[in-house]
Amino acid sequence: MLEVQNLTVRFGSLTIVDNISFSLAPGQWLMVVGPNGAGKTTIISAISRAVPYTGQVLFEGRDIRHQKTRELAQCMGVLSQNHYVGYGFTVEEVIRLGRYAHAPGLLGGKQHAGEALVAQAIAKTGMEPYLKQSVLTLSGGELQRTFLAQLFAQDPRLLILDEPTNHLDLVYQKQVFQLVQEWLRQPGRAVISVVHDLSLARAYGTHAILMQKGRIVSAGATQEVMTPDNLNAVYAMDVFDWMQRLYGQWAPGEGEGTL
Amino acid sequence: MKKFMPYVLCLLVALLLLGCSGKTEEPKEEPTAQAPEETVETNEAGNSHTTISVTDMSGREITLTEPVTRIVALTASDCEILYALGAGDALVGRGEYCDWPKEVTEVPSVQSGADTNIEQIIALNPQVLLMSTMAQTEEQIAALENAGIRVVVSDAQDIEGVYEAISLIGALMGRSTEAEALVSEMQSTFTEIQSASGDSKTVYFEVSPLEYGLWAAGSNTFMDEIAQMLHLTNIFADVSGWGEVSEEQVIQRAPDYIVTIAMYFGEGPTPEEEIASRSGWENIPAIQEGRILNLQNNELSRPGPRLAEGAQMLFDFVYGEDAV
Amino acid sequence: MKKRTEGFGPVEYALFTAVTLAVLLLCICVGSVMLPLKETVAVLWNALTGADNEAYALAANILLPVRLPRVLCVALVGACLSLCGAAMQGLLKNPLADGTTLGVSSGASLGAVLAIAFGFSLPGFPLGGTMVLAISFAFVSLLLILSLAYRLDSSLSTNTIILIGVIFSMFASSISSLVITFAGDKVKTITFWTMGSLQGSSYENALLLLGALTLFGGILLWHARELNAFAVGEDNARSIGVDVRRVKLTVLIAISVLIGVCVSVSGTIGFVGLVTPHMLRSITGPNHRRLLPAALFGGACFLLLSDLLARTLLGPRELPLGVITSFVGSLVFIYIFCKARTR
Repeated sequence: MLEVQNLTVRFGSLTIVDNISFSLAPGQWLMVVGPNGAGKTTIISAISRAVPYTGQVLFEGRDIRHQKTRELAQCMGVLSQNHYVGYGFTVEEVIRLGRYAHAPGLLGGKQHAGEALVAQAIAKTGMEPYLKQSVLTLSGGELQRTFLAQLFAQDPRLLILDEPTNHLDLVYQKQVFQLVQEWLRQPGRAVISVVHDLSLARAYGTHAILMQKGRIVSAGATQEVMTPDNLNAVYAMDVFDWMQRLYGQWAPGEGEGTL
Repeated sequence: MKKFMPYVLCLLVALLLLGCSGKTEEPKEEPTAQAPEETVETNEAGNSHTTISVTDMSGREITLTEPVTRIVALTASDCEILYALGAGDALVGRGEYCDWPKEVTEVPSVQSGADTNIEQIIALNPQVLLMSTMAQTEEQIAALENAGIRVVVSDAQDIEGVYEAISLIGALMGRSTEAEALVSEMQSTFTEIQSASGDSKTVYFEVSPLEYGLWAAGSNTFMDEIAQMLHLTNIFADVSGWGEVSEEQVIQRAPDYIVTIAMYFGEGPTPEEEIASRSGWENIPAIQEGRILNLQNNELSRPGPRLAEGAQMLFDFVYGEDAV
Repeated sequence: MKKRTEGFGPVEYALFTAVTLAVLLLCICVGSVMLPLKETVAVLWNALTGADNEAYALAANILLPVRLPRVLCVALVGACLSLCGAAMQGLLKNPLADGTTLGVSSGASLGAVLAIAFGFSLPGFPLGGTMVLAISFAFVSLLLILSLAYRLDSSLSTNTIILIGVIFSMFASSISSLVITFAGDKVKTITFWTMGSLQGSSYENALLLLGALTLFGGILLWHARELNAFAVGEDNARSIGVDVRRVKLTVLIAISVLIGVCVSVSGTIGFVGLVTPHMLRSITGPNHRRLLPAALFGGACFLLLSDLLARTLLGPRELPLGVITSFVGSLVFIYIFCKARTR
């Protein structure tokens, strides 16, 4: 579905992402993990064409460089970590913007299929009570759910998440991840996300790439990548010991992983 | 409601301010200049030694030991007076806007008005600087006096003031006789045209054309004073000084004569043609009769000796060349 | 879920049109010279039906060639500037953006001043040279200001962009002053004109403004949804499939043309694009499907009423229109700025 070949991103003389390749198939949730400065977010920016890159990114065999923005938005959608909305749009208005790629122009966005998708997205994210509310009055979690609903209404096949729950408390973290997991169950869908929380990555990811200083250290199924040896080497600390100590005090015996 | 109070207040203040700016300053109380004195002392050797003592138009007393031979004049009208008195040779510097007579443009120019440059003036090494009260500060005057330059203020607000300026400058230059002659010549021209002027008609003085917003000369201007002399009524006598006026008002007040001071640059229609072609103005008597006069050399807008000339031109235009 | 359009319905448009027409009529009836309502109506009626206006010569000579074209130009300039302001505020996600605050108007004025000073003109088009230069300078100014702002602060925060706008505005005005100083008497009269005046407007001017508004105002209205996306956030706009570069360029060109045309017809009339969209946004909400049409009508009404004050406040005198709008505009500017700061 997504094929990344020899992707390199440079800012001036600085190489942020250094010649990496990986691929993603439908049904997979790829977690990009690694310490700060490993180039995780930059990969995502390159795939969503927000930064210039060399190498190739193919979506279903087509080079995304040659696709129109609107066509690309029908294929993939991006959820970033925080949003600052300038004006008091209503929740409904923001969600409906998700239909733009399928029906652009002034009069677009009112076909039946679109209406159904919008309604579905609102129902799934539980945003019904907030529809007429201004986005400026929402909490961080509600705002993130609003944009997730917009993304569902956009109905892409690939979801790109950039630390989607960075500022959110546990309840919202859980909500967002479960909503995405549910969405992924539909056929022909895939997710790629940058996550800092290793436990979340292990719990939800089917696949993972572990990065360090712009290069891939390890790639494959989550269980194979996120081994104590790999993680300890990349983070230069005893990750498992730390996790055990953190979570062990809450649930003795049973560790992370069951949510 | 409380929320809006600040706005309402601001608006009120604004309206007040705007309202005030509409009224003009009261005509300034001009300190009347005393008649210039010339004391002639004869010393033993028989050489005559002259002391000149004048009070300028801001009330300052200035005493000089001899007539001025090097002078800088910042205003166009003072330059004109100097030349009219035959003292043009003494002019070593002029304000940048001085343009009459032609010879004056060959004199080195200095920045004037708000940009008056003291250094430029000192560099010309004049004995006296002639200027108006408008833009100069106390500090500037003090700096000049410290450099040994006597500052003389000439600031005519009406025709009487022009006479005063002429005799003041005449005294400075040791040309009082010429000054008296010039003043009486102007006076006789004015008396002549005043007595020959007949019926009362209306006139509109345009100082900026429509394209840039219509500006007219109202009361307390030289144009207005001369209009009164010619028994003409200025249609904008209710505006004081120069002001932007409404085109509609000109049409409604339907002047018999139109005088413009617009410059003509030799391209497109002349100012007279432009005025005559304005739509909506067709029924104004001045347009119908073609009575539009262009005085583009500042004859009526500058407090100098050419006011008489301008008045004569306006008179000839209104009453015909043969009327006097 | 019931279907609901985000834009206005026909009833609302009818209401806007009615209000604007009423204001227009008021401004035609009231002026520096008071004309009896009966005569005004009769003259207008006769003009419409092609009948003779001999019975009311004075009223006809004031109304038809002087007051009516001016009032029409005022309404159109107001609509253009207000629409531009609303679009710019959405595009840059910045409620303080406006032709005046960003220095675009000063840039356009500089173009116009240069055109007059160097006698740049298009044959057969009296206002053509001024207009072409005003438009190009407006566009170049916008590009300069925005690229500088991006370079300094890629998030285009309110403070950066306003600061750069103010600095650019001073820069452009200083060059204008320089040109005026060197161009001698010919351009000295321009200083009157930079204050903004619609005296002497003609039907040709009105037609020109109407053409520009129909074409380029239409482009802005057509981009209402894209502007919504920009107002939510540029990254979000890219994610939902808005061609960010193309839309930005199109909108900026449309804004430049409209501001350029307005400046060459009327001089700089400040803050119209700031005041009306701000006041309207609190009623219509930020959605550009509603805000843009409302700004169109609201801007026309606002400038018509301002001009009415300019024409009548001081008796036979006229106030420069820019003085009134800038006065109201500065107050609104301070209000928005304080509100944005305390939030």
